[in-house]
Amino acid sequence: MIKKEIIQRNPLLNLGYDHEYILPTGGFGAVLAYAGVGKTALLVQMALHAMMNEQPVLHVSLNDAVSKVNVWYRELFHDMAAKYDSVESNEFWEKILIYRFIMTFRVEGFSVPKLEERLTDLMQQNIFKPHTVIIDGLKFDESGRGLLLQLRELAKKYSMRIWFTVHTHRHEPPKENGLPLSFLHVADLFDVLVQLAAKGPEVYIKALKGQSPDAKQDALLLDPATMLIK
Amino acid sequence: MKFDDQKIRNIGISAHIDSGKTTLTERILFYTKRIHAIHDVKGKDGVGATMDSMDLEKERGITIASAATYCEWKGYEVNIIDTPGHVDFTIEVERSLRVLDGAILVLCSVGGVQSQSITVDQQMKRYKVPCIAFINKCDRSGANPFRVIAQLRTKLGHNAVAMQIPIGLETELQGVVDLVAMKAMYFDGDNGEDIRIEAIPQSLLEEASAKREELIDAASIFSDELTEAILEEKEITPELLYAAVRKGTLKREITPVYMGSAYKNKAVQPLLDGVTYLLPKPSEVENIALDMNNNEEPVILNSDPEKPIIALAFKLEDGQYGQLTYIRVYQGTVEKGSTIVNVRNGKKVKVGRVVRMHADQMEDVEALCSGYIGALFGIECSSGDTFVSPGINMTMTSMFVPKPVISLAIVPKDNKSQMAMSKALNRFSKEDPTFKTHVDPETNETIIEGMGELHLDIYVERMKREYNAEVSTGNPRVAYRETITQRADFNYTHRKQTGGSGQFGRIAGYIEPISDAEFVFENKIFGGSIPTQYIAACEKGFKQSMAKGPKLEFPITGVKVLINDGSSHAVDSSDMAFQAAARGAFREAYLRAKPVVHEPIMKVVVESPVEFQGPVMGLLNQRRGMIIGSQDEGVMCVIESQVPLAEMFGFSTILRSATQGKAQFTMEFAMYRQVPQPIAEKIALEAAQNKKTAA
Repeated sequence: MIKKEIIQRNPLLNLGYDHEYILPTGGFGAVLAYAGVGKTALLVQMALHAMMNEQPVLHVSLNDAVSKVNVWYRELFHDMAAKYDSVESNEFWEKILIYRFIMTFRVEGFSVPKLEERLTDLMQQNIFKPHTVIIDGLKFDESGRGLLLQLRELAKKYSMRIWFTVHTHRHEPPKENGLPLSFLHVADLFDVLVQLAAKGPEVYIKALKGQSPDAKQDALLLDPATMLIK
Repeated sequence: MKFDDQKIRNIGISAHIDSGKTTLTERILFYTKRIHAIHDVKGKDGVGATMDSMDLEKERGITIASAATYCEWKGYEVNIIDTPGHVDFTIEVERSLRVLDGAILVLCSVGGVQSQSITVDQQMKRYKVPCIAFINKCDRSGANPFRVIAQLRTKLGHNAVAMQIPIGLETELQGVVDLVAMKAMYFDGDNGEDIRIEAIPQSLLEEASAKREELIDAASIFSDELTEAILEEKEITPELLYAAVRKGTLKREITPVYMGSAYKNKAVQPLLDGVTYLLPKPSEVENIALDMNNNEEPVILNSDPEKPIIALAFKLEDGQYGQLTYIRVYQGTVEKGSTIVNVRNGKKVKVGRVVRMHADQMEDVEALCSGYIGALFGIECSSGDTFVSPGINMTMTSMFVPKPVISLAIVPKDNKSQMAMSKALNRFSKEDPTFKTHVDPETNETIIEGMGELHLDIYVERMKREYNAEVSTGNPRVAYRETITQRADFNYTHRKQTGGSGQFGRIAGYIEPISDAEFVFENKIFGGSIPTQYIAACEKGFKQSMAKGPKLEFPITGVKVLINDGSSHAVDSSDMAFQAAARGAFREAYLRAKPVVHEPIMKVVVESPVEFQGPVMGLLNQRRGMIIGSQDEGVMCVIESQVPLAEMFGFSTILRSATQGKAQFTMEFAMYRQVPQPIAEKIALEAAQNKKTAA
């Protein structure tokens, strides 16, 4: 029941992204928003969605400690499952937890070879093989295109898809396609781009790239607590 | 005996294992002239640090039981509780924090915020203990106090601000720059006792000014006067700055950070100044008692020596002169010869000797007044008991006591050992609420229970050393539990006719799983199908059944019982009959409610050099561990995992050999989780075998 509801209310599926995993193998997706709007929360929701489908998710955080990332998942899941029986939801939580691995790096210490080394450690010992990777906190204005190209190679090599959070700035007005200037130099590497925007207490999600041509172009209103469609 | 509350500080020293807190305490005692020579932990002189008073502590180089001591620094009386760093002894840390007004959080300048620092910090938060931080071991290779300050902010969420900057680091550590006085401090003499104050070296002037700006900026939030002085560009006096930092510290909204090296005798004295300037006096801390006459209504205590006594026994020790009870007086004055009442059992006791402790030496005093920590002789009580003046009935809030997760059978070697063992067990279970003991009625073995392998190991050792009790131990046993996974109905009739009056009772209803309580009983009987007087007997019968599962005989948890029908007999029904009916009903429903076995899962945090990350993860994985994540910390990494306790026996040896002794780990109870089917079958087989052997 919990699984069905969460999947049905997944904002990306409702925005017209009809691919089974939204991203193709080796593909890139990004959530763009100002600080504090809910980029991490939306990606954690995407991760929970994958975990519910038994697809392992590697969450790489360049900002937060493992315990804090863990709290993101726990809180969001329990918010989503609040109306269900607690025994059932706790059991389900325990069941999906094995499909998640958190890795944290300091921003300055993060590199693709290092990530690959850690991944190999996990895969060679059959501990974890990610289907989806989430990279939270990468600075796109500072990280060159080179790093993303390396990540793309890595994603293809290990048949993964990677989601990023992109922190946009209020002082930087978006171009006609809705993308900030500092992101334009790498935008072509991405298959899916979505934008989160806060209007008063409400949060809206809008597809910027990669949705099916027949899909509606309107933004969807999200529940800021769960990042599910309201 | 002075009664100036203004000049009392009750502090604890908490930290991750091996951060050097016992060494720091030793130096504090030396500089405050309580001891006249310095002995190191695992010292070559064979004396050991003063606060590690138990032989075992000296031998292993760890602090097991906290010792209390007091010292004087510049007219202030500082009561210090040295607390253990290993997580198995967490109850000791919790108990210490309960009675303290402030704490020094010791961090290693190389290791930074480590796993146990996080646990200790959570405990401080729970008891709202204001703290200052001391970054120790700045003389070590790789020392970086500012990285540790950054970790205090990111990992623990502290608003950490440096009160000092180091003059040199690693082997070049010479002293510190005091950012309040803007002076350089050097520590000369054989033991760093001579403080030389000089102008700040030119090379550090810019950094010192920048860090002072940061300090002033952070402190200004707590003081309008300071903000005013900044805006009007007036001189910022040390008094003004300390007052602002103090305000923030007491609210736990700022954490002042001191730094140095206790081992190299550098910058311990400024830390003591920090304790007296920044940590609260007893009356500044809100202490709450529960009024037993008024439905446990919370009452805020007044730190007034003239008011009725309220004191908490927070630690017991068996010394050569009988039981020594450590107490913290929250209100009133405990005088020699006065009468106090133990709230738990209502027993009146006359206070004999009153002492103040200095590790294992003591000093007789006439009285202990509110705010003081000391010890009483010849008082029979348990740890956590509250003592009050006759006529009042208040208790200090009870402490959070986790349930034991591991047990061990112990067998005494001979009769003499048997006597000594029971004496020791009686003492230990009084001293430590997480240590439990009982006799297994089936095997007749004495079972001890605790919070981890090391916890029990230490008690077995103490039995041998302190009580001459030679005991052999069985294999450690994990505290498994059973629970149900689905609803099952019951309709059970207990009927017995064996001459004389018979027994009759019928109970109907259902059992179902619940997650947030161990046992819930709900009575939905309408129309008196079971007369009201037998409902309590029904509940008792169900509760009895929870003690031991019908199949594997582990305690059962997480069950709700609802009764909605039944019947009785005017002559043959009785409490006994309904208890038996409840037990029968439970047995009937239990197996249909799909019971499963749950096992304790430990949160295991391993800190290892990055090159061993792969093998460490492999080790955890082999032990049915679920790795939550790995954290990159430069040359070191931290791997957080959840591993069944049953798989953790002997892990320390295996981890050492896999990492050339360079990794360390901490372990604490996290939760109970269902055992996978193949393992459950193995456990069932073992349980059956044990039953056979016992029979």
